[in-house]
Amino acid sequence: MPVYAIETENLTKVFASGWSKRSLTAVDNISLRVPVGSTYGLLGPNGAGKTTFVKMLLSAAHPTTGRAMVFGRDSREPAARAPIGYLPENHRFPTYLTGWDMLDFYGALSGMPSSERRRRIPELLELVGLESRAHHLRLGKFSKGMLQRVGLAQALIHSPRLLVLDEPSDGVDPVGRKQIREVLLQLEQQGVTIFLNSHLLAEVELFCREVAIIQKGKLALSGTVLELTSGSGYRLEIAGAPENLETELRARARTAAQNNGNLQLVFQTREEANRALDLARSHQCEVETFGRTRSTLEEVFMKTVEDPHHA
Amino acid sequence: MIATVALILDTFREAFARRIFWGFAGCCTALLVFLIFIMRIDVVAGALATVTLFGRAMPTTDVQSLVQQTQSVIAMALYFFGMALSVFASAGLVASVFEPGRIELLLSKPVSRTRILLGRYLGNLLVVAANIVYLIAGSWIIFGVKTGLWGIGYLYSSLFTIFIFAVLLAVIVLIGVLWESAAIAIMTSFAIMFLTPILAQHQQIDRLLSSEWSRQTVKILYYALPKTSDISVMIRHIILNQPIESWMPVWSTAIFGAVMLGAGILHFRRRTF
Repeated sequence: MPVYAIETENLTKVFASGWSKRSLTAVDNISLRVPVGSTYGLLGPNGAGKTTFVKMLLSAAHPTTGRAMVFGRDSREPAARAPIGYLPENHRFPTYLTGWDMLDFYGALSGMPSSERRRRIPELLELVGLESRAHHLRLGKFSKGMLQRVGLAQALIHSPRLLVLDEPSDGVDPVGRKQIREVLLQLEQQGVTIFLNSHLLAEVELFCREVAIIQKGKLALSGTVLELTSGSGYRLEIAGAPENLETELRARARTAAQNNGNLQLVFQTREEANRALDLARSHQCEVETFGRTRSTLEEVFMKTVEDPHHA
Repeated sequence: MIATVALILDTFREAFARRIFWGFAGCCTALLVFLIFIMRIDVVAGALATVTLFGRAMPTTDVQSLVQQTQSVIAMALYFFGMALSVFASAGLVASVFEPGRIELLLSKPVSRTRILLGRYLGNLLVVAANIVYLIAGSWIIFGVKTGLWGIGYLYSSLFTIFIFAVLLAVIVLIGVLWESAAIAIMTSFAIMFLTPILAQHQQIDRLLSSEWSRQTVKILYYALPKTSDISVMIRHIILNQPIESWMPVWSTAIFGAVMLGAGILHFRRRTF
């Protein structure tokens, strides 16, 4: 049983222009491992190489060097793609198909027998929240949100072990986003590996356990969301601090600020923070919050993409 | 197998949705209705009594000759005009598969690229073949019922028409894979259809050319490209029960088609989307 759902080794894609002999390295030597059962987010600014990376995973683009493995098999083998469910970003589903026909078609391409498709299609359409009238409506009449939902159903039709989603909630209203998130959480509980490529950092932070940030084709940063967003200090917020205590705590803290009458302090180490806490309690101050400082994923992302060392 | 059938059915669905299939079927049905109701043939004791078209008596020789000539006209019309329409319609069906956002999803499925392309190719071929068979078989039955003549040469002619379309479709597929352009595919196919009857006269052209180099070029082009004109002559011979002098036009055209399709598959397998 393979340990990694996705494993890339020095994956590189260079687009060469035949006439001008200029080349563009879209993906540069990326080695990435996505453990089986994890929820993994791929982040990066526009043009960073995320889509090319995903296309190489799915064998829509051939690597210039390196290789991409899915559950231990080279993704260029058709059988390696059998456990993958994929929802592309700028999808163009055949508009002449109905929701039902579309799932039937892609289910058949995934090798599902007709009886299994007939059983699975209504289940999935209900799961993604498409009303029964939409089942036999042509995709050309679907709204963007409905297309995303039916696209997700398409990705799930053959019960994949790896789900590759490119901007899954693009065009979906907040209720729909919540529904999609709930479906993904269910799948996560079932052990499905979810690889999410999204610009919505809050969504990735909310859902993914691990992330990788790609910048200019290179892997700039990777790790668990918890590790990446955990700050380097400790925060203490107290109310009712007398002036002399406030002066003393401000002198000890790395940063200090007043917020709605509360004193917010950030300390370098846990020991310093605990000593300040003891001091505050000895002065009968009320403690509002105490804990490790945290960054948002957006802050981590911005810091990474703006850091010239990552470029 | 499930995937191949799905790809073929999908092509039919798209042809239905684009009204291509129904357009063809409508034209074929109109011709069949014409043969049923407008053209009236009275045969008395195996000999032709009268032939009326729009109620007017036509000059005739004998019933077999009349039927074969009419069948020949239908087969030729289908061969040239039907082929032009088929090329026009099919170019879009092939190019649509390569649309960004559609091709990536197809390629992400556990189906080889060769199978994807061949499935689309077969689907497209069957859409056109279904209409050719419908028209030829339908008119063959009408002629048979009206005259009692059931010569199968006319039926065979449909195989030649399907064959030449299969070859032109291979060209459309190759161009679709290379440039994703229906317009270039149509232009190239039409160029082949118009150029090859000229090349079929290579022996006459030879006399008009002064340099050996240009004579060789014409000869190479004649042998390399499909022989649409020569095959149309073969169709006529088959319908008129005349012997076929050489099968070279068929096998050399088949080689051309196989090379085009092979090149299309090869390029599709290597291409990055």
